[in-house]
Amino acid sequence: MLRGENLAVHYGTRRIFSSVNLGVSPGRFIALVGPNGSGKSSLLRVLAGLQKPAAGSVVSQGSSMLIAPSANPPADLTPFDLAAYGLALRRKPWQWGLPPAGHARIAAALERCSLTAHASSCVANLSAGEVQRAWIAAALAVDTDTLLIDEPTTHLDVRYQIEILHTLKALTQSGIAVVAAMHDLTLAARFADDVALLADGRLVCGSPADILTPALLSDAFGITVSLHRHPEEGYLICLPR
Amino acid sequence: MINSSGAGSAISAAGRAPVASTSSQSAVVSRTRLARLALLALLLPLVGVAALFVGSSALAPDAVFWSLLHPHAAGVTHTIVWELRLPRVLIALGVGAGLAIAGALLQALFRNPLVDPYITGVAAGAALAAAIGFTLQVAFALVPALAFCGGLACAALVAVIGGNETPAGNLRLVLAGVAISALCSALVTLLLLHGGQANGMPILAWLAGGINGRGWIDLRWTAGYLGLGIASAFLQVHAVNLLRLGSVPAAGFGLPVARARFGVLVTASLITAACVAVSGIVGFVGLMVPHVVRRFVSGDARWLLAGSALAGGSVIVIADVLARSLMPPTEIPLGVLLALVGVPFFLSLTRRPVEL
Repeated sequence: MLRGENLAVHYGTRRIFSSVNLGVSPGRFIALVGPNGSGKSSLLRVLAGLQKPAAGSVVSQGSSMLIAPSANPPADLTPFDLAAYGLALRRKPWQWGLPPAGHARIAAALERCSLTAHASSCVANLSAGEVQRAWIAAALAVDTDTLLIDEPTTHLDVRYQIEILHTLKALTQSGIAVVAAMHDLTLAARFADDVALLADGRLVCGSPADILTPALLSDAFGITVSLHRHPEEGYLICLPR
Repeated sequence: MINSSGAGSAISAAGRAPVASTSSQSAVVSRTRLARLALLALLLPLVGVAALFVGSSALAPDAVFWSLLHPHAAGVTHTIVWELRLPRVLIALGVGAGLAIAGALLQALFRNPLVDPYITGVAAGAALAAAIGFTLQVAFALVPALAFCGGLACAALVAVIGGNETPAGNLRLVLAGVAISALCSALVTLLLLHGGQANGMPILAWLAGGINGRGWIDLRWTAGYLGLGIASAFLQVHAVNLLRLGSVPAAGFGLPVARARFGVLVTASLITAACVAVSGIVGFVGLMVPHVVRRFVSGDARWLLAGSALAGGSVIVIADVLARSLMPPTEIPLGVLLALVGVPFFLSLTRRPVEL
C-alpha cells in the first residue's frame, strides 16, 4: 500500500500542485493522466521517495520502484544483468556472483515478463517494449510491491503498447500495485481500475467512467473530447475533436 | 502477431525449465568473460617479465633470471634488475592499473564515456597540489596525500558545475574539467617560473610524465595509497554497476545515491593522486583502457575494473619499454608517448557512438 497525503510540489515560485491525495492498494492499477507539465512525473518521483515534496507526506507499506522513460540501460547489459544489478545490494561486495536463490528469483521475474528467451540478449538487440519489460522484471526481482511507471507506452508502437499494458495488468492480478503516468486516455480507460486526473494543480481520482467525462477532460486539456463505448468490451474510447 | 499479449500468457508461474535455461545462458556469458579476463591476466606477467630484459644495458636472459631468483646476490646485473628495472616495472604496473580503474570509475560515475582522470580535472588538481609539495620540498610520503586533496577538490568542483546526468550536464562537465585543468596547468607554470631553473626542471620533468629514475622508495610510499584506492574500488563494484543505470533507477533499487557517488569520486581521486605523485601526468590510459576492456570483456563493473587493472598495467609497462628504447639514449616521456597514441584514439571516439 502506498499513499500520498496533502502533497505539494513547487519549483521556485511556480506551484505545480498542492493538496494532492493519492493512494494505491495492492492489486490496483491507477492510470495517472493530465496535460504536459501538470506534474505527473513529479508526483511519481515524490511517491517513489526520490523527490521531497514541498508539503505533505508519503505513507508506504512495502517497497516501491519508479521506472522512468528516459532510463535507457547501457547497451551491453542483458535483462538478466539488469535484474542482477537490482539484487546486488543484497550481496556483500566480495560476493562476485549471484547466489542460486538469486538466479531463481531473476528467472521467475523474467518469465513473468515473458523475457526468458531474451535473458542473455544485449539491450541493444531488444525492442523498446522488451526493454520496458526488462525494467519491470528487474523491479519484480527485488520484490517491489508498487510499480510507479512514467509513460510506459512512450516510443512504443501499438503492438508493444498493448503488450506492456497487458503485462502490467496481469501483475496487478498477482497483488502488485501499479501507478502509470499515461497520455492515451483510451488505453487508460481500458486497462486501469482507477484514473487519476492531475490538472491545474489539483488531482481527482475515481473509476474511468467517473473521471473521463467530457466536462473534466475539457477543463483539464482545453479541448472537446467525445466519449464512446467499445461495442464488445464496453470500455471507454476517448476521441479528441 | 501478438501471441503473448493476453494476461494469462504474459504472466505465468515460474517453472524449473526457465530457471535452468536462464542460469545456463548466464553461465555461458560468464565463462566467455572469464576466458577473456584470463587472457589479460596471462598477458600482464608476460609483459612484466619481458620488460626486465629491455634497457640501455643489454643483459643475458639467464643472468636476469638468475638475479630474479637470488634477491640477495651482488653484482652489476643484480643491481640493474633489482634496483632499476624491477621497481620501475612494478610502478608501471601500479600506475597503469590505477589510472585505468580511475577512468572506469569516473566514466560510470558521470555516465559519460569521454571522461577520464584528466578530463575531469582530478589529475590536474593532483598535479598542482603535488607541484606545490615539490616546491615546498615536503617529504615524498606526503606528496600523494597533498595530490589527493588537490584532485578531490577539483573533482568536486567539476562535479558541482557539471550537475546532473543530462546531455547538457555532461557537456558542462567536460568543459568544466577542461577549464579547471587549464587553470591548474597555468598555476603550475607560475610555480615553475617562480622556482627558477634549479627547482623548476625536476618539476617539469615530473610533469611530462614518466617513471624514469623511480625506485623502491617511491613504490613503497605510493603502493599504500594505490592499494587502498584499488581495494576501495573493488568494494564498490555493485554500487558502480547501479550508478551505470542512472540516479533514478539506482535509487529505486535502494542505493543511497549521493553517498555512493561521493564514495566513488573519493576513490577515483585517491587512485589518481597516488599515480600522479609517482609518475606525473600520464594521460589517456584512463580513457582508452576502459573502452577497450568494455568491448573485449564487459561493461559490468566487476569485470571492467578487473580487466582495466590488468590491461592498464600491461599498457603502461609496454609504453615504458617503448619510451626507453625508441630513441636511445634519450628517453621519451611516458606522457608524451601515450598522448601520441591517445589523441587519435580520443578523436576516433568522437566520431562513433560509444557506450558506457
